Amino acid sequence: MASAEEIADAYADWRARSNGNERLRKMVRGWNRIVHLHTTDTDESFTLSVLDQELSALTRGGVGQPDLIVTGSSEDFCDMFWGDLNPSEKYMSGEIKLAGSGEDVMRLDAISMVAFLDQ
Amino acid sequence: MTDRRADTGGHAVGEQSVPATHHGGEELRRALGLRTVVSTSTGLAFAAVEYLAAAGLVVYVAGDSAWIAIGVAGLLALLAWGFFGELNAMFPTAAAIRLYMKRSMNDRSALTITFTYMTTIVLVIAADAFIVGTALTHAFSEPSWVAALWILGLLGAAVASNLRGVRIAGGLQDVATYLVLAATLVVGVAALAKSHHALRFPLSPLHGHSPASFIEAVALGVFLFSAFEWVTTSAEEVRHPAHIHRGMLIAIGALFVVTSLVATSMSHVLDHQQLKSAYPQLLLGRAAFGQAGLWLMAVVTAMTALNTFNGGFITASRFVYGTAREGSLPRQLAALNDRAVPWVPVVGLGALSLAVALVVALTHSWQVLVAVGAGLEAMIYAVAALCTLRLRRRAPEHPRPFRVRGIAVLGVAGLVIFSVLALVASLSVDGSFNPAPLIIIAVCAAISASYVLFVLPKVQAAEARRRAATGRRRPPRAVPVDPGTGDVPPAGA
Repeated sequence: MASAEEIADAYADWRARSNGNERLRKMVRGWNRIVHLHTTDTDESFTLSVLDQELSALTRGGVGQPDLIVTGSSEDFCDMFWGDLNPSEKYMSGEIKLAGSGEDVMRLDAISMVAFLDQ
Repeated sequence: MTDRRADTGGHAVGEQSVPATHHGGEELRRALGLRTVVSTSTGLAFAAVEYLAAAGLVVYVAGDSAWIAIGVAGLLALLAWGFFGELNAMFPTAAAIRLYMKRSMNDRSALTITFTYMTTIVLVIAADAFIVGTALTHAFSEPSWVAALWILGLLGAAVASNLRGVRIAGGLQDVATYLVLAATLVVGVAALAKSHHALRFPLSPLHGHSPASFIEAVALGVFLFSAFEWVTTSAEEVRHPAHIHRGMLIAIGALFVVTSLVATSMSHVLDHQQLKSAYPQLLLGRAAFGQAGLWLMAVVTAMTALNTFNGGFITASRFVYGTAREGSLPRQLAALNDRAVPWVPVVGLGALSLAVALVVALTHSWQVLVAVGAGLEAMIYAVAALCTLRLRRRAPEHPRPFRVRGIAVLGVAGLVIFSVLALVASLSVDGSFNPAPLIIIAVCAAISASYVLFVLPKVQAAEARRRAATGRRRPPRAVPVDPGTGDVPPAGA
């Protein structure tokens, strides 16, 4: 299990990487969304948002009404934000669950892919 | 079949208490309601190819009794609805098909079947491009070769709008679908009323036909309902999970009413030559309202393509993207453009559909396309029956908010009936024995299986090498974490 602090550290790295990627900023133009993360093992909630092409800081708790809800283990979130885990693999195996529109799911996955693979 | 979803109850998330829904107790800001689920399910099934399939079905049964074959097909669609309802309730995700197939058979078989099934999307898009192109060519009284330009233009526009990330909003999709259904109903009723003849054999489907012909009519009838289940890929965006199986049920009812009426009115007012044309719906429109009716049906045909192109391109390209991201297809297929659209699958799907549509336009073999689609759909319904049966044994404890009653009987019945229908549909074209559809399906399956057996291991090995070369970025833990709470113990503890 990863602690909330570990998730926050991992997210901070992901955020810096994403916000510093010009191509990614283009990809999220006009895509302002609230995303809730929920850990299944530690039963914690976090909120991140994308506003004006920037990822916000991570907030503890579910804040605001979400466009997208991601549910997974704390370890998976941590590994995902560090770029060590391919979220699509976990999603296809049912270990990470999503709720939200297909388009929003695509964009969120695009962030994780472009941030680390620059594909 | 029964709906056994339990109330999830309220759930506090963070600082606020939010209404109970299926997403762990949270309400999404944008979620699909039942109306949009029904329009999506109906709209995906009611492609332009429906008109040709309905006209083709009439050949196999006596005159006006096509509705009986469609009714039997509708009952079979209800059986398929039960299987998809249960599987979707178990795995309410866009990746459901991968999950339930993987868990009920091995991953290689699951991938082979899924890739083969995806061929249906190419066929439906190609068929719709061909039908809309041909209908517009006829409506404008242009020479037949102009249809190729329409096809090119339609698919080009579909690819361009997809690459720009344009999606039809739920509201517009609702309006388009319900307008198509309403206009088709009005035209069907008006054509029947204006014929001034009583129905000839409304209750005798076998009059002058063999039981084998009736079975072929039912196999084609199943195709009229096909793709209603594609709405299950929207399971993550609905307001309530029950909307999916309820929406599919309503869609099957709506499809039965509209397609029965279309088939009956076509058989009543069109002659054999007209039924075999590539635009029987335009001729039905003309029979109902003269030239205005023909134009009305031309517009309606074009509107059906909105749903097909929108749903088909998104479903197929996102599936290919997801599978490439998962590592089961080359990673180049997951490349995104600046609008976060997987451009390689979109362009590839457009090119493939264009090639198929042009071949169909040149060879006038649209009934082969219909038979391939009917065979593939019946095949996937048989697979759904098999998965439902197997998962009952392999994962008896898995929550099933919706389950089929009497699965031991219905599951086996579905497996046998849909397998037979798949074979029947793929061995007959236009009332005669023709193995071309079966050969096409077999070639698609062989290509899929060859990829899974011979190419996939190399793709996976390349991905594993890439990951190994990258190394882990996550720093090692300096202090052990309390396994009970997940907390880092305070300093000095």
